[in-house]
Amino acid sequence: MFFRRPNLGLPRRVVAYYLLFCVIAVAWLSVGVLVTSHSVLNTRGVNSSLSRLGKLTAALEVEYIRGGLTNLQSLVSQAKSEFRAHYCSIESPTGKFLAHSNPQFIGQKVQEHEGSHLRWGSITGVRFTDEAGKTHQEYRVTLMAHGQPFGSLRVAVSEPSLWCTFSEVARLAPIAILIPLAVVALGAVVLGRVTSPISEISKQIQHLAELPQEASVELTTVPVHDTFSLGWNRIVEALARLQENPENQSLEQRLQAATSSRRESQHADILQNLPEGVAVTDMEGRITFVNRAVASLLGETVPEGTEMQKWLCPSDDTTEAAPLLDPQLASRPAVCELHRHGEHADRVLRVSRQPVKNPRIQGQVWCLRDITQQKLAEKMRDQFIDTATHELRTPLSNIKAYAETMVTCDEIDVEEQKEFCNIINSEVTRLARFVDDLLSISSMEMGSLSIDKQKVETARLLEEVLEKVDPVMQQKSITFTAELPEKMPEVRLDKDKFIAVLVNLLGNAAKYTPNGGRVTLRVKLDNSLMQVDVEDTGVGIAPEEVSKVFEKFFRSSDPRVQNETGTGLGLSLACEVVRMHGGEITVESILNQGSTFTITIPVE
Amino acid sequence: MAKKALIVDDNLALARVTQFALDRAGFETQTARNGRLALEAAQLMQFDVVVTDQQMPELTGIELCSELRKLPGYQDCPIILLTAKGLELELPRLREELGISGVFSKPFSPAAVVRAVEDLLNTYV
Repeated sequence: MFFRRPNLGLPRRVVAYYLLFCVIAVAWLSVGVLVTSHSVLNTRGVNSSLSRLGKLTAALEVEYIRGGLTNLQSLVSQAKSEFRAHYCSIESPTGKFLAHSNPQFIGQKVQEHEGSHLRWGSITGVRFTDEAGKTHQEYRVTLMAHGQPFGSLRVAVSEPSLWCTFSEVARLAPIAILIPLAVVALGAVVLGRVTSPISEISKQIQHLAELPQEASVELTTVPVHDTFSLGWNRIVEALARLQENPENQSLEQRLQAATSSRRESQHADILQNLPEGVAVTDMEGRITFVNRAVASLLGETVPEGTEMQKWLCPSDDTTEAAPLLDPQLASRPAVCELHRHGEHADRVLRVSRQPVKNPRIQGQVWCLRDITQQKLAEKMRDQFIDTATHELRTPLSNIKAYAETMVTCDEIDVEEQKEFCNIINSEVTRLARFVDDLLSISSMEMGSLSIDKQKVETARLLEEVLEKVDPVMQQKSITFTAELPEKMPEVRLDKDKFIAVLVNLLGNAAKYTPNGGRVTLRVKLDNSLMQVDVEDTGVGIAPEEVSKVFEKFFRSSDPRVQNETGTGLGLSLACEVVRMHGGEITVESILNQGSTFTITIPVE
Repeated sequence: MAKKALIVDDNLALARVTQFALDRAGFETQTARNGRLALEAAQLMQFDVVVTDQQMPELTGIELCSELRKLPGYQDCPIILLTAKGLELELPRLREELGISGVFSKPFSPAAVVRAVEDLLNTYV
């Protein structure tokens, strides 16, 4: 290689080399033609000189015989012009000029020229260079008359110079040089076109050569001009198939591909089955992905390509979703709570929006979560704190107010003092019971409310209950009847808690039954089942409240119930204790006529 | 002539002790178990001061107050609110909107309530 120009591309290099060698060949040929022409011209000059020389010799010999030396001078002068000779002369046998084309030399002694000697048959010659640097050939022929030489003819003819030959040949140059050059140029164009597909392919191969060993090979097809480019395209396609076809990949590659595709499908499954709604929107707010939960949370099918806002705020009221809709805040995260009015129940959704900027996803990710239960729990908690505060503060207020009054007032009679102390006492009891209930409810909530089953005599158990409730019944002049079975066997249950349940039910019955009413305790023991009914002729429970009486902190809105103190915890605890014994508690009630609470528990 | 005070509380024991304290201070007192009964009583007789519990069935203390303000003779009547909910922080707003003169948080001192009532009536007289 004479030079390296890798950026030129293989086809252009080929054309460049072709041109270079062609131009050298044309130049070489031109020089050859020049030299040959020169040589041919030279030979032609010599031949013509020799043939004329023969004629001139004969003419001179004839003239010498006819008239002696007199007319020789004129013949010599004539011959010089005919020969276009440098000079023409006749030399006498004594070495002096008898005639000369330049008459000055006649009679002078002949000067011999130094140079190379030549011979053509009887003709001799010498090749010499004169003072001006020109090369001449001098031909010499001996002149004979009557068998005797009378002199020697000398004719000097100039050899044509190389320059003369060049100017002669130059006239042929347009045809001799330009046409071959034009043909060469045409060849270059054709060569360029023929190699053009190689240009693109050669670029790709060069690029490939520069890549590191492990890099994946990516070749592209070229426009089809001929079978060569078609063949290249076949190679590219075959390579692509080779790379795609898992059978041709290494085990590691196949494993990697399988793992990543499994992981992707796993991720898609996980995303689809999330209980939380996930949606992705593009920069214009159009949905590009939604999982199943979104539709169930919003209660309608959300197709891709629609706007997220439209689904979040179907109505015109957009005050709730304002942070999500403000276009100025679109690039920031936002969270808000939306209230959706469903067919069966209202829902609260927490919608959060997070902008995402990475090369693969540009837009926003939306998360939807149903927080209805959480909101309900928060409401219950607030209600509980409300109730607890009220239930703690009310007896405390009474205790403080009465105690302070007793301390500060001097003129309180004994009856009043006794009344005040009774009130303080009952408020303390109420406070203590509330705290107990609270602890039990807390244990119940934590699942640590336990029952301690032991053998209990039914008769003894009921006796204790009656002892506790009798005073209350008497206070309100209530007719209290206990219908007990004749046979009262031993049963296994948590005695203290069960007594508390019965006392609570009977206490409620007494509390909400007007003076002079009737309360009945009915106990039935049947094989392994014990049924206890507590029936009263009290205020009863409104039908819409019946299902709620066992809820924590529930208190009827009936003013007759509100006027009595109560925490709303007793029935809820009773229900839990019965449930833990494997039984159930039910209630039947008619407003203003009375209620019947029934406990059914299995006993051993 | 003795000043008349209306005590409204669903907690009868508390109403009783507040009444006791105000009686001792020389007021002529009457109790009501809820807001509705209080409104009825207020229409029958002109009271000089109303002491009401906040958390009551039917009408809350604040609701009772706004109802009372609609009655003739009660536009400027001093009202004291007893509450178990810590409304004392909202007193400036309550004073501004409903003219509630004082808020006592439970448990409260009956003597303090009596003193507040006496101060209020002296100011108004």
